[in-house]
Amino acid sequence: MDTATYFLYILVSSMVMNLALALYGIFYKPHLTKKIISLTILGDTANAFALIIGYRLWPGEITPSRPPILVGWTHLNKTMLQQYVSTAVDPLPQALVLTAVVIGLAVTLFLVFLALQIYRHYGTLDVREIRRLRG
Amino acid sequence: MIGPMEIMIGITALAALFSTAATYLAVTEKDLVKAVIYSAIQSTIYAFIYYMLMAPDIVLVYIPVAVGLYPAVILVLIRKTERWEKD
Repeated sequence: MDTATYFLYILVSSMVMNLALALYGIFYKPHLTKKIISLTILGDTANAFALIIGYRLWPGEITPSRPPILVGWTHLNKTMLQQYVSTAVDPLPQALVLTAVVIGLAVTLFLVFLALQIYRHYGTLDVREIRRLRG
Repeated sequence: MIGPMEIMIGITALAALFSTAATYLAVTEKDLVKAVIYSAIQSTIYAFIYYMLMAPDIVLVYIPVAVGLYPAVILVLIRKTERWEKD
């Protein structure tokens, strides 16, 4: 196994660990604010996985992979397109992640508002207390 | 053999390890204000990881949202509700 693959394994393992920690925070922490914080971490980790899927290793020894940005599109030629295709990372996961970040912000704002209403109604944000007070 | 590609991916992997530490602190911390700050640190490291994974356009959106807006909104929530998480 070469060194780059080894480092990529470390990266993916850390992300899996983050995913597990965020799931633990969502399911086992009783406080709603902590659940919201864990949910943001979970979403960001899922986005990171999408970007890792779209990443490509360097095509050459000293040729880095590049962001998927097509420069000089007013006078494109075949050489530029070939260079773009052979060096750019996958743009599709990046487009999806860009959407997911904004949607995650909207969902978080909604959940924060919901938690605020729950606090005004029940006087606590601890789900054990809320379950006891229900009905 | 360690070339420039290995150094770049190694730095990314090191940042990912730090982000795991920040996530652990954010999830286990009882003081919610500190948990939000740890979450912001984790988001900063994630922004760096996104940059190293060749997604600078994501970073431009992600930094204001995840380092600025998330902590600000959750801090407002903590200010209006309660700060400490009970056992």
